[in-house]
Amino acid sequence: MSVITYGEAIRQAYREEMLRDKNVCLMGEDVGRWGSLYRSSKGLLEEFGPEQVKDTPISEAAIAGCAVGCAALGMRPIAEIMYIDFITIAMDVMVNHAAKWPQLSNGKLKLPIVFKTQGGAGRRNSSQHSQSLENWFVNVPGLIVVMPATPYDVKGLLKSAIRDDNPVVFIEHKALYFEKGEVPDEEYLIPLGKAEVKRAGSDVTIIATSWMVLFALKAAAQLQQEGISCEVVDPRTLWPLDKQTLVQSVKKTGLCLVVTEAPEEGGWSGEASSVIHEHCFSTLKKPVKRHCSIRTGIPYGPVLERQIVPGDESIMKAVRELVKGV
Amino acid sequence: MNTESLQKLYTEMLLVRRFDELCLSLKTRDQIYSGYHPYEGQEAVAVGFSGLLNKQDILLSTHRPHGHAVAKGVPVESVLTEMMGRQTGCSGGLGGGMQYLDIEHNFYCGSIVGSNLPIATGFGMAIKQQKLDRVCMCMFGDGASNTGAFHEALNLAAIWKLPILFVCENNQYAEAMPAREFVSCERISMRARGYGLEEITVDGNDVEATRRVAADLLARIRTGEGPFLVEARTYRLRGHYVGDPEATYRTREEVDAWRAKDPLLRTRTTLLNDGVDASGLEALDQTIKAKLTALEAWALEQPFPTLEQSIDHVTIPLTQQGGCACL
Repeated sequence: MSVITYGEAIRQAYREEMLRDKNVCLMGEDVGRWGSLYRSSKGLLEEFGPEQVKDTPISEAAIAGCAVGCAALGMRPIAEIMYIDFITIAMDVMVNHAAKWPQLSNGKLKLPIVFKTQGGAGRRNSSQHSQSLENWFVNVPGLIVVMPATPYDVKGLLKSAIRDDNPVVFIEHKALYFEKGEVPDEEYLIPLGKAEVKRAGSDVTIIATSWMVLFALKAAAQLQQEGISCEVVDPRTLWPLDKQTLVQSVKKTGLCLVVTEAPEEGGWSGEASSVIHEHCFSTLKKPVKRHCSIRTGIPYGPVLERQIVPGDESIMKAVRELVKGV
Repeated sequence: MNTESLQKLYTEMLLVRRFDELCLSLKTRDQIYSGYHPYEGQEAVAVGFSGLLNKQDILLSTHRPHGHAVAKGVPVESVLTEMMGRQTGCSGGLGGGMQYLDIEHNFYCGSIVGSNLPIATGFGMAIKQQKLDRVCMCMFGDGASNTGAFHEALNLAAIWKLPILFVCENNQYAEAMPAREFVSCERISMRARGYGLEEITVDGNDVEATRRVAADLLARIRTGEGPFLVEARTYRLRGHYVGDPEATYRTREEVDAWRAKDPLLRTRTTLLNDGVDASGLEALDQTIKAKLTALEAWALEQPFPTLEQSIDHVTIPLTQQGGCACL
């Protein structure tokens, strides 16, 4: 085991997959010279050359389109959209083509593309650089949506996403790149579509995604001292959803809080909540509760930003309300 | 062009024309379910350009794709039955008249105007990088040249010097919006200059001209030049779709003036002047019509896709790869 950052884990995943398969290529704004915004592809242009690491113009539609075209001819592109907020420009290709062509080919065409981006608040970038837009993609048949929270997960899941023959929307979080964690020295993969119990507990299940997993774990540690035992479950892949792991946990605890950074209305948090209600109705002591960002554009300053987005203290408050009714 | 070659192009255009007429007829009988985008009048573009591609070359087409598909050599029966939503269609009847793929014949089309241009850059990039003996042709209309995707794709293709022929099939109207009012420059080909490319315009109703330009540009692309953008100026003789309110955007006189420039009429006149026997051309037409009549009878008997077919290939199951345990 080595302790590395989330950003370094991404770099290792790229490197291992590019070494393994020359068809794997990374393209996007500043992925080469800069080594990506958070340096997660640092040194790869020098090591692999411009055929595998391509700086592109600021042209998100062309980046996504280029990925679809070259994937159709057997390449395995990783198309990086620097901020998820910019993905609106690439949406047409992703939703209308990448997600539709395999079906229209009756399975003859595979599009092994990773649309890789990063979202969320935490770096005081205001409302056009801080959104959580994952819900849009969960609702599009044909796309897989992954949101890893730890260095271990991001490396194992990214390697699986690159090897998967489906178009995968892989959403990192800008507040996580410098978070550290243990990662095995030997090669490993984490299958897409597998949730993980990040902390075992018995009183309440907290289902959290991406950055929220870290806050949920902090909250759980605090609440333990208050005598509340929380089980924290990270779906890791939003779609397809590992319903079994989520349901198993709630059947054990009887209470469930869903925490997402995206606002709750029309979101994946509603999907998770609905799955729990459908499968755990008889064992639920209370309806599932959701704790999500306030429905607004993310404000600029650090104080307001923290007030809009859930954190460990607000999660603790939500858990107390659920468990004790206060 | 010698008479024999021209007659071959005429035959191909005639097939595209008669195919379009068959589709119109099927549309009026509710055997084509979606809006139908007729191709009449533009045959010299499809045949001149996409007709020159090899099977291995990539063709990206539009929401008005059947002329391009037939000219490229996608089997007529699979194009027809796709439009009719039958299992034997090239997308299994799941795509319909404006979005289907034929992987074997390297044909792709879609109904989002302008979005095939960015995808063309990927095909071009893969062809160049893998040193494949193939080219990519991307057809689009005057309307698509006003999308942001057009600009992104042209710029990327130009800086990466990709083996792509972008063919703007300017049929003068984006739905009801005339290019003369909605395109900021006199000729769309002028936009090529902005990407450091040559400005190339061709009479899209003259099949000898379209074929000559296509042959020249494809040859140059195959030897490492490219990309190119060419504007083929033509005219959509019918509405954007069958039954559109044509009187709201153009006059009967305007359409009639273009009818006089019908590419089939022009080519036929040239052939007759070259001494080709009129009865021979008539016999050719009858042969094509008879083939299409037989094809129609066959197509009407083909089964519709099943529910399973429409679901099976949306996502390759992760369970095969050690993943997702869904309930």
